[in-house]
Amino acid sequence: MKLTQPCRLLALLLLLGSIVHYSDAAPAPDLEEQTRAISAELRCVVCQNLSVADSPSEMAQQMRAIVREQVQAGKSPDQIKEFFVSKYGEWVLLKPRTTGFSALLWILPYVVLVLGVVAALWLAHRWTRKKTTAQPTMASRLPSGAARAELLHEEIEEPDLEDSSARAQLLREHARLRGELAELEFDFQSGKLSESDYTALKQEIVAKSVDVVNRLAATPPEPQAKSASQTRKREARRGANPQFGRWQIIAGGVFLLVFGLALGVMLTRSVRERDSEGGTITGDFMTGTTPPAARAALTEGKQAFSKQDFPKAIEAFKRVLAEDPNNPEAHTYMGYILVQAGHGDGALMAFDKALLQAPNFPMALWGKGMVLYQDKKDYAGARQVLEQLLSLIPAGEERNEVVKVLATIPTQGGATTPSTASEKGSAAPSSSAQISGKISIDAKLKGGIDPNAALFIIARPATGGGGPPLAVKKIDRPTFPVDYTLSQDNVMMQGTPFTGKINLTVRLDKDGNPVTRSPGDMTGEYKKNPVEVGTKNVDVVIDQATE
Amino acid sequence: MPVRRFVITLLIIGPLLALLAYGFTRDSHYIVSPLLAKPATPFTLKLFDGRTLTLDDLRGKAVFLNFWASWCIPCRDEARELETAWQKIKDKNMVFLGVAVQDTDQNALEFLKEFNITYPNGKDEAAKIAVDYGTWGIPESFFIDPQGRITYKHVGAIRAALVVSKLEEAEKGIVSAQEGKGDYSAIK
Repeated sequence: MKLTQPCRLLALLLLLGSIVHYSDAAPAPDLEEQTRAISAELRCVVCQNLSVADSPSEMAQQMRAIVREQVQAGKSPDQIKEFFVSKYGEWVLLKPRTTGFSALLWILPYVVLVLGVVAALWLAHRWTRKKTTAQPTMASRLPSGAARAELLHEEIEEPDLEDSSARAQLLREHARLRGELAELEFDFQSGKLSESDYTALKQEIVAKSVDVVNRLAATPPEPQAKSASQTRKREARRGANPQFGRWQIIAGGVFLLVFGLALGVMLTRSVRERDSEGGTITGDFMTGTTPPAARAALTEGKQAFSKQDFPKAIEAFKRVLAEDPNNPEAHTYMGYILVQAGHGDGALMAFDKALLQAPNFPMALWGKGMVLYQDKKDYAGARQVLEQLLSLIPAGEERNEVVKVLATIPTQGGATTPSTASEKGSAAPSSSAQISGKISIDAKLKGGIDPNAALFIIARPATGGGGPPLAVKKIDRPTFPVDYTLSQDNVMMQGTPFTGKINLTVRLDKDGNPVTRSPGDMTGEYKKNPVEVGTKNVDVVIDQATE
Repeated sequence: MPVRRFVITLLIIGPLLALLAYGFTRDSHYIVSPLLAKPATPFTLKLFDGRTLTLDDLRGKAVFLNFWASWCIPCRDEARELETAWQKIKDKNMVFLGVAVQDTDQNALEFLKEFNITYPNGKDEAAKIAVDYGTWGIPESFFIDPQGRITYKHVGAIRAALVVSKLEEAEKGIVSAQEGKGDYSAIK
């Protein structure tokens, strides 16, 4: 069962390849890869957090089409990016430039990182130095008078709760006074104390603390009195080498830096757009979901397909599917090869497998739609699939082609197109169930006929009531006068009898799309409407032009 | 010292908070156009009435260029305002031009009929003109002086009085310092 238009099918397939945005090369690898690479560096003006390459929006599709056009015109990536910058500003670049003011965006993070590391090192250094210098020189650096009160804010020496020596008792008293002062300051700052009370109480505590500090200075530490537990605790906290803490912090900082960089690199390389409902966001970098060998085979298969070397293409796509059984592109291409071989059912299965993985894959939608239309005569199914495809592709040659095909599909399933019906020599309708006549065009409108226009002969029930026409016949590029016959074969809804009184109108549609009304469309109607089905010589003159 | 620590903390956190607050005041979707005071990109537009018009044809006149779509609600809000403005200035050396983007012929024509729009309108088939003018929201309006320079841009619905005053400025070659903003829809 070969399709009637294999060449047309193949040509459009190659065109549709251009709107596929998968990571691998499309049929024209250089153009598509360049388009994708450039689009990936441009920010989508609608979604903003996606690149033009990844965004599904209509605007992004149109921007991709412009990128493709400019690549085809021989412009360099820089020139194309500059074009978009001139329209949207540097905002449109996903990667800001490394020159001018934008350079700050690149430099600033590193500056902040360096400053952060320096600050951390300085703090660590200051902290360790204070710890190590405070203890041995306490007596010698004791100041006199009120300045000694400052010592209240510092921890002179950690008091040992198990030690009952006089010095340990003084240390505990000092710690208690520090706590008392902290509480006092807290109360004052939170407004619980008046300034005069605060000053008086503080002076009292300071006086006590000066006394304690003086007594401490007069009571030198006894090395043998230090308990073993205190030494152990200090060593455990600070380490035998006071420098060790600093290195620990440096090592920790370096580790965090390396960890952050590794995480950043791995995430950016591994996360990808989810390509199907059940797909994952992790790419082959971490999970190996698309093996490199499969990618190479896919490219090889596509190249062979574009050269119509089908045996080689089949072999390559089989290798892809052996490694990646859900690859939608490989299934789609296999479908097209099966179409070429005349295996409509197999092709349909292949397209369905592809659409199961990627429901909006344009090539698979086109293939399925055409098989349903031309091979299976499932017009409703074909229309549904092609309309889905139409909603996905931007304006352009591909879209026009899909619109053209859609216009030729009868609105409801079951009704065959007029040409097909006559070609197949289907059961000839009886003359009582048909209307025939001649359609001509008014002389003053002849000059305005578009060479690609299509003629629609439309029969509507005379009873009115809206809804679709009873029967429609389409004649592409008619030559006037046109002899026509409208019969049961042309009814829109299968099973509806073509009988009774009807109103007959005709329309010469400039763009061949019965849905749109464009300037230049021409119309006419049978002057004796309504007319009984079975009447002959129902002649119509096209005499109205749409402004 | 608590005060010193407080000041240092404030110095570090203050700018960050100020940056955050500034971020909240900005519309993250808004793209400032680099086209103000720059020459308007030439284009050719096929009008719905079958004629073809180029920007060069309009040189010597102040031009109001409006991007719209029938599905865009703010475009409906401004449609009557624009027609009112057009009726006020149509006998002067000024031109209105509507460009339908991301729309079908049928819907666009119905829209024009619904609002009795009488100034020329056409369809930007592949959004090429829209991209040339850096459009991202809809409606967007551009004012072009007789020398072909963009003097003002307005994102979103615009009032008739503003259209007239900005066209008068455009006619004199006065370039606005900033873009204007009204209610807008994101382009599709």
